[in-house]
Amino acid sequence: MIKIEKRNDVSPSIYFLTPILAIFLTLFGGGIIFYVLGFNPIIALKFFFITPISDLYGFSELLVKATPLCLIAIGLSFCFKSNNWNIGAEGQLIFGGIVGGGVALLFYGHDGFYVLPIIILSGAIGGMIFAMIPAVLKTYFNTNEILVSLMLVYVAKLLLDYLVVGPWSNPEGFNFPETRQFSESARMPILFDGLRIHAGIFITLMTVFLSWLILYKTYLGFQIKVSGLSLKTAKYAGYKGETMIIIVFMISGACAGLAGVGEITGPIGQLHRNISPDYGFTAIIVAFLGRLNPVGIIFASLIVALTYLGAETAQIFLQVPKYTGQVFQGMILFFLLGSDYLLFFKIKFLGLKKNEL
Amino acid sequence: MNTKLTISNISKTYPGCIANDNVSLEFGSGKIYALLGENGAGKSTLVRILSGVVKPDEGKVFLNNENIKLNSPLDAKKNNIGMVFQHFNLFETLSVFENLSIDSNEKNEELRFLVNEILKKYNFKIDLDIPVLNLSAGQKQKVEIIRCLIRNPKVLIMDEPTSVLTEQETEDLFISLKKFSEEGILIIYITHKLKEVLSLCDEVAVMRKGKVVSVSSTKEEKIESLANKMVGENLSTIRKKIKNLKYNEEILKISNLNFRSDDPYETNLINLNFSLKKGECLGIAGISGNGQSELFQILSGEIITDYTSIKFRNKEIGKLNPRERREYLMAFSPEDRISQAAVPELKIYENVALNNFKSSNFFERGLVNEKKIKEHSKKILSNFSVNTDNVEMKSQFLSGGNLQKLIIGRELITSPELLVCFNPTWGLDVGAINYIHETLININEQGKSSILISTDNDELLRLSDRICVIYKGKLSKIMDINEVTPEKLGILMGGGSID
Repeated sequence: MIKIEKRNDVSPSIYFLTPILAIFLTLFGGGIIFYVLGFNPIIALKFFFITPISDLYGFSELLVKATPLCLIAIGLSFCFKSNNWNIGAEGQLIFGGIVGGGVALLFYGHDGFYVLPIIILSGAIGGMIFAMIPAVLKTYFNTNEILVSLMLVYVAKLLLDYLVVGPWSNPEGFNFPETRQFSESARMPILFDGLRIHAGIFITLMTVFLSWLILYKTYLGFQIKVSGLSLKTAKYAGYKGETMIIIVFMISGACAGLAGVGEITGPIGQLHRNISPDYGFTAIIVAFLGRLNPVGIIFASLIVALTYLGAETAQIFLQVPKYTGQVFQGMILFFLLGSDYLLFFKIKFLGLKKNEL
Repeated sequence: MNTKLTISNISKTYPGCIANDNVSLEFGSGKIYALLGENGAGKSTLVRILSGVVKPDEGKVFLNNENIKLNSPLDAKKNNIGMVFQHFNLFETLSVFENLSIDSNEKNEELRFLVNEILKKYNFKIDLDIPVLNLSAGQKQKVEIIRCLIRNPKVLIMDEPTSVLTEQETEDLFISLKKFSEEGILIIYITHKLKEVLSLCDEVAVMRKGKVVSVSSTKEEKIESLANKMVGENLSTIRKKIKNLKYNEEILKISNLNFRSDDPYETNLINLNFSLKKGECLGIAGISGNGQSELFQILSGEIITDYTSIKFRNKEIGKLNPRERREYLMAFSPEDRISQAAVPELKIYENVALNNFKSSNFFERGLVNEKKIKEHSKKILSNFSVNTDNVEMKSQFLSGGNLQKLIIGRELITSPELLVCFNPTWGLDVGAINYIHETLININEQGKSSILISTDNDELLRLSDRICVIYKGKLSKIMDINEVTPEKLGILMGGGSID
């Protein structure tokens, strides 16, 4: 007979250690998968997780991937903490990219220190406005924000598609579905010659700090926490629930928009069809792996970014599809949820009772 | 026919609590047995085991010395164990007769004959062909009882049957139960109301924390002795409230308050009018679900209706939310203390910060002032004798009584002019109840007013200066405490009228 019991109190240290356990289990699970595919698991895992960051370039690439993931996940943590399920960060990222990219094209050929800040700001506002759609619909028409935000991802994707194929496509681009390369003034400064790491990382770090400040040290953060734990209590305390929904979506959307604009002004340098390898969706895993905690999210974004790099290396050296990266992301989430279950519940194995009824 | 029901060494553990700990009891027909205990003492679990809803981890049940297996409610029916639950299992839109025929094997004509016999025999007056939703709570309960009687039960278990009944319906029920008992049906009566045990039952088993702590004849017991056994401590008696209205100043005026809800599970409030003086306690009685919850939320500002019908200290406050109302020195203690008045996962001091009023300076320029909140929380813990001084503790580890003291303390430490509380002692042990009652009496004596919405008549009679009854969203006339009797309350709570 098996019994499942809820644990009364979970110590905070174990709560933050289980994500690490989940990562080790993922490595183990990944090893098994590689073994079944006929590779030596140790060597395969080395290609996946060590080779990509064994040189400076690789390490810079890791930060390039982690920058948007961390930024989006931080924004999502505001939503998730207050029980608002924003699944559409990918759409907000793309829309932020569209708005930022549009402004960048507008400034095509302009020089000036003011160009980049205006582009970044407009990207953030774009993401913010796009995120307000599900928030406003939820507040005033009781729609489900999961569905609305998810569906808006496809709206944003198709809009981007239309723009880069049609009105915004590069006049000298032989009908390739992409815009002009932005001018130098519209590009994120590169931090080191020869590496792709750009100034966007400072935006991310600043956002992390601000988020920590807001979530743990301000009245707004307290209200978000209470609303997330019990909406009934928030109402009783007199917090304006509707305003809060809109605020957290705005923060979350602005972060995703920043990530989008950071990508197009950073490593990409133009708009084309695939400005994001699903960063907006993967960031959901990052947010949970980091326990919705700003510092946790930094570490989680590095680890998940590594799965992106590892997949590319594995594709080159082992000839496995790059989707292996998504398999690893999936395993991380699976093992995290699994160990969370064991964290909050304990399973007791009891011998069969002689006098069972 | 003699029936003997034996429960032997029953244990049942739920995640985090032992509901039944090695419970053994014996019952014989011809007597009415009370199973007495506070909320969470394990009564309901035991009853669910007897009715086959829950399987015990250990232990056996014998009926007439035969070990019976109760794996499902069907097994209980087969063994002639009938059960009337606290919440009715009836289809509201079907007629009474249709409800009875659903789980019966008899042909319709035979069943109707049988039911009519039962109606005649026990003098029940119920129209079999009207939909159940038109019946009163007492009548619905009778339908449930008839459903059991059709099967000639040997054992009839009643789980807190009077919690939804008026005084008069309760008396009717007791007469019927005594009749059943005379006919040889073994009756087990679950309750936490001491008076009922003494007036109805022959034997009483008291449960506390999953264990049977005493079995005795009711002739040997008094209310006090039973209460002590139930709570497990000696109780000091509470002083009577001295009615003493020193002030004539009107503090709250509700005029033509209406509330219409789109939610079919909420009650509409119709044209409420009342006023409250400084230092006065207005009691609002009623069976739960008659609009109390809606009234509380309108007073607290969780529901905003029209802007003009609530006047507090001569200001119209109808459009203010709860936090803004607190600035005008109102305070609120909701019914659901576990998941609304406090958040179990939050620490004590964080729960204290929920009542954020301007002068508290808990949040200065939008930033959390943790030090201030903690100091303030320590003060509440000591002033209101909460049995911990650790403000970092999560509030889920407080017992019900201590949690309620914390909440009342949090609300009262701002010296509000008006406290609105809704079932403040629901489910608490007697010690905590006494403490809360003392506190509520004290604030009236200090010239602060209170509105007490409660389903506990004893509490209302003890604390109120004036009482009215809410029934289907309407208020009865307001009576002075000296002219109120439990009988009058009972009539009004059932929708009747007096004089």
